[in-house]
Amino acid sequence: MSGFLILVFVGLMVIGVPVAVALGGASLLLVMVEDAQPHLVVVHRMISGVDSFPLLAIPFFIMAGSLMNSGGITERIYDFALALVGWLKGGLGHVNVVGSVIFAGMSGTAVADAGGLGNIEIKAMRDHGYDVDFAVGITGASSTIGPIIPPSLPMVIYGVMANASIGQLFAAGLIPGLVMAASMMAMVAWYAHVRGFHRDATFALDRLWYTFRRAFLPLMTPVLLIGGMTTGVFTPTEAAIAATAYALILGMFVYRTLSWRGLIKVSMETTETTAIILLIVAGASIFGYLITITKVTDNVAELVLSITTQPWAILLLVNVFLLIVGCFMETIAAITILVPVLLPLMERIGVDPVHFGVIMVLNLMIGLLTPPVGMVLYILARVANISFERTTRACAPFLIPLVVTLGLVTYWPEMVLWLPTMFYR
Amino acid sequence: MTGTNLGGPDLGQPIIGTADDADVRLSDYGPEDWVAFVLFWGLAIVVFLQFFTRYVLNDSLAWTEEIARYLLVCVTFIGAGMAARKNSHIHVEFFYVYLDRRQAFWLSTLVDALRILFYAYATWLGWKVANIMQFQRMVVIDWPMSIVFGVGCLGFAILTLRSMQVAVRHWRDGESALTRVHAEGRHQ
Repeated sequence: MSGFLILVFVGLMVIGVPVAVALGGASLLLVMVEDAQPHLVVVHRMISGVDSFPLLAIPFFIMAGSLMNSGGITERIYDFALALVGWLKGGLGHVNVVGSVIFAGMSGTAVADAGGLGNIEIKAMRDHGYDVDFAVGITGASSTIGPIIPPSLPMVIYGVMANASIGQLFAAGLIPGLVMAASMMAMVAWYAHVRGFHRDATFALDRLWYTFRRAFLPLMTPVLLIGGMTTGVFTPTEAAIAATAYALILGMFVYRTLSWRGLIKVSMETTETTAIILLIVAGASIFGYLITITKVTDNVAELVLSITTQPWAILLLVNVFLLIVGCFMETIAAITILVPVLLPLMERIGVDPVHFGVIMVLNLMIGLLTPPVGMVLYILARVANISFERTTRACAPFLIPLVVTLGLVTYWPEMVLWLPTMFYR
Repeated sequence: MTGTNLGGPDLGQPIIGTADDADVRLSDYGPEDWVAFVLFWGLAIVVFLQFFTRYVLNDSLAWTEEIARYLLVCVTFIGAGMAARKNSHIHVEFFYVYLDRRQAFWLSTLVDALRILFYAYATWLGWKVANIMQFQRMVVIDWPMSIVFGVGCLGFAILTLRSMQVAVRHWRDGESALTRVHAEGRHQ
């Protein structure tokens, strides 16, 4: 029966039915055909699926990210990053990565980074004579750091679906996020060497100090958020509401860049985005429930274990599978559907759920840069005003540092689990 | 980062916005948007109260957690209605690259029909669930759980009506976000 469920779901999704409806609709159809439970179990599960404490972090991480994404604040961060690493060869490429790392500590999505900071970065790189493809490639790649470094919406969703500690997941993402940044900066340095890029600025300590002071208040957001959450002082929900309150105070009273209209707009967009994400979570809770009771997860585990029982080979298979899924499916939808299917297999081969969370989210972030369904590609194509195909080609070389990081994350669990183990056990 | 200020096609994706207010027109918002807006701020205040009472007063209010969860359910289902009006629920559209205009239009109409059917039946089921839940009480306040499920049912009703509106518009215009995929060839 589970084959039926998955087939109907994939069929509905491919023809363009909203993902949430495809999940709920396939579940409803299965319940109708089996006729063992009342139909209303579908709606009951959907509504109570959203009734979860950890999910409360989602609207406030979205809101804090939007508020921090306003002109005044992104510019301060950009100026600071410029003073910090702009004097290296290929300076603006490094600035791009460092800016994204800082922004990643305030925002939980890659899309916000690509659309907000990415806008400033691509424009600046063009003005300094970098070719658009390099600018777009590095902007796209660095935006995927956003959901690896906490806070992270995909990690919250993973934690809810996998019943794993979100605080631990956040702590686990920090080092891989910095490794991603380092590998991207290495790639920029290599480009700069091969193509003979110039320095875009000279290093000046007073300039660094000045931009640091200007960016000090926004820079405190990642310090508070990451510091508070990885050490377990704040729960993610508390950190999210504190960050929102802080961003509101900055926007309304300190910088005075946030108008009442701006506040209404951000609230409305936050509400809409939250609802879109959580309706998928609602659909996934009935779908996941049916998947679990029809034992499809056991079948998947048996099937994979009949091919090989080597953990490294299974991890390789799962990575390839996730990369392919990431090409076709949106991040949140993929997490909600695949966690109930893949997690039991991972537990059978002794992979920690927190470790697997980082593997899964990183895979799906790479999917943001691959056609046909690469969200970041669409946004960058619009921001840089070039074709989708050209954006795809521009981002392709920058998949190398991402895949290298993925390899490290997959086969070096200590790197991922060191920080959460230190603070949580 | 909204669809409007960058122009171009509808992405069918969540909007992660900025606080820049150049393009805000309050008249663009529908009535359910304002209901969701009030619920959202109610949620924000309750969650903030919980945070504040725990860290500043060292004595967290017991009712805040449960009420916050219920408010999140309400924000989700009313907000889902607002996303339906803008047709911004996440969907996959790459398949439409392979279809010609006429095929795309018929398939897109089928999608409209299927989602209306689902939302409508879910509204009915939601009504039944809400009725059953009359006798189950919330933990911290003596209110029936049917309030929460009733709002869920209302959300499905808004989803139904707004999807019907969108479907009529698609039918009249002879095109939808899905049929435009091929014309713009942005998935090749």
